Amino acid sequence: MAAGPLRFRTPHIEELPITQSRQAPGFAWVAVGGPPEDPSKNWGTTNRKRARASAGGQTDAQKEALSARQQKEIERKIRDLNNDNSKDVQIPIPKKEGGGGGGAARAGKTQNTKKILASGKTFAHYLDDEEAEIARTGRREGDVEIVAAPVMMQRPSKTPIARRKATEDSSLDSSPAPTLPIHQGMRPPPVRKPSVTSTVDAMDLDQDEEADRSIPSEAEIEALLSAPPLTYNQARAAPPPCSAPPPRKFCEVCGYFGRAKCMKCGAMTCSVLCKDTHDEQRCLKFYA
Amino acid sequence: MARKNSHKPTATTNELAPRTLILDNGAHTIKAGFSSSSATEEPNDCHIIANCIARSWRDKRTYVGPELLDECWDFGELAFRRPVERGFVVNWEGEKAVWERSFVDKRSRLKCDPHETNLILTEAPNAPAALQRNADEMVFEEFEFATYYRTPSPSLNAYAPSPFSLSPAPGVPLECLLVIDVGHSHTTITPLYDGRPINPACRRLEIGGKTLTNHLKDLLSRNVEVKNEDWIVQEIKEDVCFVSASSSFSSDLERVWKGGHKDPRAVDTTIVVDYVLPDYENVKRGFARPHNPNVSRKERALGLDGGPREHIVTIGNERFTVPELLFTPSDIGMQQDGLPGTILQSLHSLPEGLWQPFLANVLVVGGSSKFPGFVRRLEAELRMLVSDEFVVRVAQAEDPVKNVWLGGAKLARDEGVLKERVVTRQEYLEHGDVWTRRRFAGKVDR
Repeated sequence: MAAGPLRFRTPHIEELPITQSRQAPGFAWVAVGGPPEDPSKNWGTTNRKRARASAGGQTDAQKEALSARQQKEIERKIRDLNNDNSKDVQIPIPKKEGGGGGGAARAGKTQNTKKILASGKTFAHYLDDEEAEIARTGRREGDVEIVAAPVMMQRPSKTPIARRKATEDSSLDSSPAPTLPIHQGMRPPPVRKPSVTSTVDAMDLDQDEEADRSIPSEAEIEALLSAPPLTYNQARAAPPPCSAPPPRKFCEVCGYFGRAKCMKCGAMTCSVLCKDTHDEQRCLKFYA
Repeated sequence: MARKNSHKPTATTNELAPRTLILDNGAHTIKAGFSSSSATEEPNDCHIIANCIARSWRDKRTYVGPELLDECWDFGELAFRRPVERGFVVNWEGEKAVWERSFVDKRSRLKCDPHETNLILTEAPNAPAALQRNADEMVFEEFEFATYYRTPSPSLNAYAPSPFSLSPAPGVPLECLLVIDVGHSHTTITPLYDGRPINPACRRLEIGGKTLTNHLKDLLSRNVEVKNEDWIVQEIKEDVCFVSASSSFSSDLERVWKGGHKDPRAVDTTIVVDYVLPDYENVKRGFARPHNPNVSRKERALGLDGGPREHIVTIGNERFTVPELLFTPSDIGMQQDGLPGTILQSLHSLPEGLWQPFLANVLVVGGSSKFPGFVRRLEAELRMLVSDEFVVRVAQAEDPVKNVWLGGAKLARDEGVLKERVVTRQEYLEHGDVWTRRRFAGKVDR
């Protein structure tokens, strides 16, 4: 017999929600409170709070980790917030009054423009295309620097550049230190620098002592400037550092700080009044 | 990929055309105007054109581009379709309609002949290469502008008059500038050196004016039905929202709390306002007034209590919790750092020696930065995050919406600089689109 309850400590794993939700079969890390306790205690307790409290509790991290469904819900809300057009509306472009070579002009004058005008691609398509191209060939269309093909990228990466590990050695996302190969025959466009040296000296006055605080040399600055632009996903801001305070929750009904969670659906409310409103009107588990 | 010349007898010379059209192509509005080497640019030269196609159920009319601000007077239940998605022009069919109505149509104020005009077009930073190619092809093959220069929009700020120093001569960029563009689709942070962006350090926060408007719409629809009223909610946001100081966010929220079951509180009426919604018959434009708890909303709406018939929305903590999203995106669960944190991320990817010059020249532009208290809050937060030995100066451009356009206009005045940057139509037809793209990225010389 087991001397005590088996308790598995799961490491804190944070699943960052990605913008696409695929229908692929898979799994999700879910915060688990541990196996149910010794059956002689709290038997028959349907009060989940009591059962959870006596089961030894979860770590703080496990308490904060959201279930996969909640995460998907949040992603969907954010996508809705960032929605450009009004919902479910198809607005056709009005025909120009007075024709004027209507048909040909509408469709575009050359092959290329015809294709562009007729295409129904959305931004998500373009992004995916770009990431697929990078995963395939290691460089973007139009970048001349041939970088080494990225090592073993099974899926195009959507992590912002600040969160990528250094093991991915493609030059596209290495640190901005001047390690990019610069081909011959390529010079940055002539830039006017009338008095760079004098202003550099002026700013250097207080910082002469600390070697790493000095203004970088011309060559380093040029290397920085001629680095290729980041891709759309690389330039996204990274999540806050772990030391930041946990996210604040607000009351669903009135907007004040949330103080209590609804046991059925998990929404936060601030007071008994708001909780009553929530139970009557907005609780999702009303009929459950 | 060389292409044959088209059959049109266009002016394919290597010279600059006499006039330049500067288009700051934003997701919400296009700022457009002409400039040439002889004129001085005035902010009045810049016309603001709504970059959308809007359908009004009440008028049964579809407004394209400039028609919206010029001709529409009933903005209720207006459905929008925007060709610009996430900051980039994706739907060229719609964009072509807007551009044609703005520049080619006989009735437009900015009528011009593209064959005789240079074009300076802005795009959002970190654009996918395919979208850049689409833009180049549309400009040269469809509209057939004489010459063309495409640039990320923050770069043009370096040429505009800056609040930090005396305005440079036209065509000379400011040396170090950290541009924070709080736009409609997102917020970008771009360090500029001599007017050129330092690419590894550009960052983007996915919260912009659009997110804030949609969030406010969700919050308001708890009380009043505004699901279809994009334009009106946007006006509410612009009129009523402000940014509270970081130390006072909690105390502000406390003040507008109505209290709990056992300790009801009187609501602080200095923050809570009543907003009167426009109905475009008597009230043409919504306005706010301090909250009057004695007025019952229902009675007022029906005109029963003797006053004029008004639809009132009471707005309390939404006034400052909505713009708070820019500083704490985790409030809605977005896994991104707030604006000051993102600025830090951008700085940390630069060598330490460059931190001080950039921190001392932080320029805030963009329509969504016009919230009262925004710049003060940003400066305070940034001050808290960086060590004491750095000087931190944050300033907002004089006209946050038109600043990029002003920079472009100033750049266009200096013919020499302009000539180095643009690609003429003949060059495009000779060398092809890949060459053009590399030219704009600064990788190829003439």
